[in-house]
Amino acid sequence: MSKFRSHFWFVVPAVLLMIVILIVPIFVAGIFSFTDYNLGSPDFRWIGWKNYEALTKYSSYKKMFSASLTYVVIVVPFSVLLGLGAALLISSLRFGGEIYKTVFFLPVMATLLAMAIAWEFTLDPIVGLVNKLLSEGCNTNWFYQLITGSWLGFNPAENWYGNACADRMPNWLGNKKYALGAISFIGVWQAFGFNMVLYLAGLTSIPRDLYKAAEMDGAKSSWERFKLVTWPMLGPTHVFVITITSIRSFQVFDTVEALTRGGPSKSTYMMVYAMFEKGVKQNLVGIGSSLTIIFLLFVLVLTLTQVYFVNRRVHYS
Amino acid sequence: MNHQSKWFSEIIKHFILILGAVVVILPFYLMLSFSFKSPSEIQSISGGFFGSQELMLDRRCVKEGKPEEECTMLPIVYNYKAAFEEAPLLRYLLNGVIVTVSIFAIQILIALPCAYALAKLNFLGKNIVFGMVIFCLLIPVHAIALPLYLMLAKLGLTNTYAALVIPWTISVFGIFLMRQFFMTVPDDLINAARMDGMSEFSIIWKVMLPTAIPALLAFAIFSVVAHWNDYYWPRIVITGDRDLMTPPLGLRMFKSDMDGNEYGPMMAAATIIVTPLVVAFLLAQRRFIEGITLTGMK
Repeated sequence: MSKFRSHFWFVVPAVLLMIVILIVPIFVAGIFSFTDYNLGSPDFRWIGWKNYEALTKYSSYKKMFSASLTYVVIVVPFSVLLGLGAALLISSLRFGGEIYKTVFFLPVMATLLAMAIAWEFTLDPIVGLVNKLLSEGCNTNWFYQLITGSWLGFNPAENWYGNACADRMPNWLGNKKYALGAISFIGVWQAFGFNMVLYLAGLTSIPRDLYKAAEMDGAKSSWERFKLVTWPMLGPTHVFVITITSIRSFQVFDTVEALTRGGPSKSTYMMVYAMFEKGVKQNLVGIGSSLTIIFLLFVLVLTLTQVYFVNRRVHYS
Repeated sequence: MNHQSKWFSEIIKHFILILGAVVVILPFYLMLSFSFKSPSEIQSISGGFFGSQELMLDRRCVKEGKPEEECTMLPIVYNYKAAFEEAPLLRYLLNGVIVTVSIFAIQILIALPCAYALAKLNFLGKNIVFGMVIFCLLIPVHAIALPLYLMLAKLGLTNTYAALVIPWTISVFGIFLMRQFFMTVPDDLINAARMDGMSEFSIIWKVMLPTAIPALLAFAIFSVVAHWNDYYWPRIVITGDRDLMTPPLGLRMFKSDMDGNEYGPMMAAATIIVTPLVVAFLLAQRRFIEGITLTGMK
């Protein structure tokens, strides 16, 4: 009997905490999403689906969904492909690979909030290095032609860079045309090193013999060998990297809160920030909770898709 | 491929990677450079990386009525001095250490016994508990933040260390990871310890824990990096009380208090916050990469 009791005490604290900290909150959010509850008022009313209807009705939430999706649609492919590209280049180097690996992994490690502020200053219209270099590039012929595309016969006046040179450089984070792009850029900057490491691990697990076999089968160029061996053999890594990056991009918060607060004109108003703004700052718990539930559903769908793909692979291999 | 074209492709690869590295390093370069330079050099984008380090006058110091020679200093000294004096940076760093260390300690205290029980003991409801762990792995932290905040607010716990630590005391990921590791420990080892009269409790800490050091280290890195860098949760539960702010939150407050032109001190503060982890990473790269890519499994 004493044995049973000791087992009991090994498991009970963890189980209790799981229930109180992880499971109960989901139900709390689910319940509050059907109410007009707010902190401070003694009671609340049931208002049915009104919070969810509000999410479909108001333009600020429409902007929120479109900003979140746009962010994911930009960050996922770029950071996945850059991660894969970096991994392929690094693994095929004769020397110096470790240095690049270290450098590309730095953004994953560094406190994102601090680096977001550093990016803000780098992209600043007055003290920023980026705009300074770009405006110097206006007077450097080859650079100007390259960016405006005038070397291919495009008209510089129809191009953002041509216009920027004629007028002034854009305010990346302050202009609603560019803000979401700039935030996405920081997202890619931060995420691709992580993907690179996962792809490097995936690459080392591909048996060398397969490349020899492919070569004997007539895959002479390295591109053909990539198509025939590397890409399909990385299948599990692709699934993993893509879902992880999508889930993480859905959770973007630090850069939005510190740099744009969802603006200008809601162009960077993304889900987790909206959850924080509505639910915590403005004390609109009902709306915040309904956002929480929608967010949870998005993430669950992504995770279950991953599980599905991973399981299917295991069965067929 | 002949020798020459092999070298040519090697050079091309290095060229592309260096270009990428420049973009990756750019904000780090700017952060360090701003933390060295004087306000006027920052405004005019001059002075290169380190600035000319001409002596400058600290206006705030003069306003306090101190003599001018006491207030004249190198820009680099001015920036780092302001970072520590304007924002209570030491306090933020101390809070960061308190919070990350207590989170990790409690996580281990709770997760290890549970992982051991799940891996090596038989008890009623074992499968249910493991099922719960797997289910909880699916829950993203951002989704429980708002209800947790409401629960803590109802208990009057916002603006306390407890609020910063409590939500992270349970790491289902830690339980899962340690369970997988414990499964690989041979039963003979545990049986021998039992024969020696060890209690199950001391088996966990004296037999299992030492064998699990590599996994534990990876988890430690994962946990410490995540919570040192975390901004979302502290931003929600700490509202106004500076003495409780963690480094990222403190930096954010520093930014909103500044009149907007104090780039130097702000970047000095950012440098100090980023440095500990970056240095640790450079010293133990492989372990860090291992530890952080663990998040991938989450």
